[in-house]
Amino acid sequence: MKKSNHFKIVFIFLFFCGASINKAIAQDSVEVSPTILGLRYFLPENKVPYIIVNTKKKVGRKFEPVKNVTVNVYVNEATANNLLGKITTAVNGEGRIAFPASFKNTWDSLTTFKFVAESVPGKGEEILNADLTIKKAILVIDTLAGADTRTITAQLKEKTGNEWVAVKEIEMKLGVKRSLGNLTVGDAESYTSDSTGTASAEYKRDSMPGDEKGNLVLVARVEDNDVYGNLVVEKPVSWGVKAKVEQNFWHRSLWSTGGRAPIWLLTIAFAIIIGVWGTLIYLLRQLLKMRKIGKAYQQKLTT
Amino acid sequence: MEKQQKFSPEKITNDLLPTKFGRRGTIWTMTLLAICAVGAFAYIQQLRKGLVVTNMGDYVSWGIYISNFVFFVAISLVGSLITAIFRLANVPWRTPLTRISEMIAVSAITFAALIIIVDMGRPERLFNLFLHGRIQSPIMWDVIVITTYFFLSLFLLYITLLPDIKILIEAKDKLGKPFSKLYRWLASFWKGTDQQEKMRDRSITILCIVIIPVAFCIHTVTSWLFATTYRPGWDSTNFGAYFVSGAFLVGAGAVVVAMYVFRKVYKLEHYITERHFEKMGKILVMLALLYLYFNVNEYLVPAFKMKKSEEEHLTGLFSGEFAPMFWFAIFIGMIIPILILVFPKGRKPNAMFVAGIMVVIGAWFKRYLIVTPTMLHPFLPKYDAPAKYSHYFPSWYEWAIAMGSLAGVLLIITFLARIFPVISIYKTITDHEEEQPF
Repeated sequence: MKKSNHFKIVFIFLFFCGASINKAIAQDSVEVSPTILGLRYFLPENKVPYIIVNTKKKVGRKFEPVKNVTVNVYVNEATANNLLGKITTAVNGEGRIAFPASFKNTWDSLTTFKFVAESVPGKGEEILNADLTIKKAILVIDTLAGADTRTITAQLKEKTGNEWVAVKEIEMKLGVKRSLGNLTVGDAESYTSDSTGTASAEYKRDSMPGDEKGNLVLVARVEDNDVYGNLVVEKPVSWGVKAKVEQNFWHRSLWSTGGRAPIWLLTIAFAIIIGVWGTLIYLLRQLLKMRKIGKAYQQKLTT
Repeated sequence: MEKQQKFSPEKITNDLLPTKFGRRGTIWTMTLLAICAVGAFAYIQQLRKGLVVTNMGDYVSWGIYISNFVFFVAISLVGSLITAIFRLANVPWRTPLTRISEMIAVSAITFAALIIIVDMGRPERLFNLFLHGRIQSPIMWDVIVITTYFFLSLFLLYITLLPDIKILIEAKDKLGKPFSKLYRWLASFWKGTDQQEKMRDRSITILCIVIIPVAFCIHTVTSWLFATTYRPGWDSTNFGAYFVSGAFLVGAGAVVVAMYVFRKVYKLEHYITERHFEKMGKILVMLALLYLYFNVNEYLVPAFKMKKSEEEHLTGLFSGEFAPMFWFAIFIGMIIPILILVFPKGRKPNAMFVAGIMVVIGAWFKRYLIVTPTMLHPFLPKYDAPAKYSHYFPSWYEWAIAMGSLAGVLLIITFLARIFPVISIYKTITDHEEEQPF
């Protein structure tokens, strides 16, 4: 009985050792995927679009950014004339290229764009490719203020011929801009445009503090849409509570400028400084007196 | 109580007059000069290329320079301990130790001020501190209090030297020319009249009274450079007392080492006796126990709570990257010296010298541990920082400058000991005439 218990203990011990060795080996041989090149399209305020290039690779179960990859981005096809720009990815594996002014005619004339990205390979590296097709669209935000309710509406309009036509069934986010992000205007996280292409939300944040005049900034966003990319548009409204900002900057405090130190601190500091340095000066005077006494004594001796 | 052998004033003067460097003294001085020269070269390179030559970065912006600064400030406290406190307490055996401690204090505080300038990337902008300084900042308090302590220590050294310089001027024939002009410039006015004696005595008493609070201030304010910052390891109300007790310990340790060296080199066995070591040993063990007590408070209480934000810092010290250095500093800087000094045999000169060296070395590493590990563990998470930012090891420039500054302190002490008597001749003669014990 005793012997079999010992065998059990040894077996359990070996099992755990084996399991931990296996785990350690598994950790050592983490799989790393080849670098993946990606493109994202952004249109802020319906003005100048830009492209974000990102490079990443999968290490184990996680994606990790790949820096210092140089990428050429073209519009429509990868020819020198269509080169939008060249970018090298930063530490976060991203680089940003704005649509250059020289491509304004292209932007105005087309309704669908194909962005093509091609990496500039280093020695022994393979060329990375990616493309992204985007339909040109704009996002429009508006407000309706009734007696008791306030509503925000947003429409995504795509270019069809010479017309801008509202698109149905588009998911978008409607929020209020705050210091560290956007706060949803109602209870829902996102809203979908109806048969008229309009997404609307009732504004329920009546006591939201705004700036000194009570202004808030409403934000409508379409995020990572496969057809239209990322669009964002803002609209200032005076729906907030006027904020009273206390200006403590010019008061005397421990964190203000040197000239505005608290009186109590100045009093204590200067009392100590004057006390100690006053004593030191007194002692120096005593030394000078000793000097005089010594010289007088010397004179007395010589005469 | 055992009494010291009584010697004639002539013998005391002969025994205590400064002497020329022998072969060993010359080698020692040349070695220190060479280390200082390497340090100066490294500093010139740092001035030319900027602080980029150091291994300091976004996180460890205070490295070995600031550790050295805290160490020098700590050692300088000894001037007030031995001279001021012993004088005001009327400790009868203090005479052979006061000059040594004053010399250590002046040299250490000089380099404490200099090393701060070294830590500045743009030292020529130092004057901005005086033009646009904020009295609200502990850095400003530190600048003020270091300057004040420097002048007070220098003045204390000078005023206690006056009667000795008179003796040095009179002993021109024995000493030769080298420093006679300097002696005359410093104290030709000193005639030792009753009036002068009275004024000097009163001045020393006033200085001793003033220097104690200033010395406490310098260490407390230096601790506040850290404690007024909300960071793991520094966020402590204990820091002022912790720093003062540590400073007393390392200062006393440095005096013990200097006592031993001067006793050997200048053959001062009749003046720095075994009883002096015995007394200093008791003081040192008391200070080591006190500092150990503050260390227990400083680490045990946070370790007991083990707040999430401080966990990484504390485990790094106890069992992580800094553990060997941490336990080295605790054992070598406190526990082993206590075990040596607590026994009467451990308070003999040789054992005391070993204990003193341990205290000083342990104290240097302790200062490094106070400064660096905390900087590596900020409360805010490190974001987008290269892996090398999570570790710090000084570059050779930093080592060269730090070692140069340590050599600089020893060099000043060496030159002061070459120019002036390491034990007050005048006070020793007076003590012997008054038949003071020791």
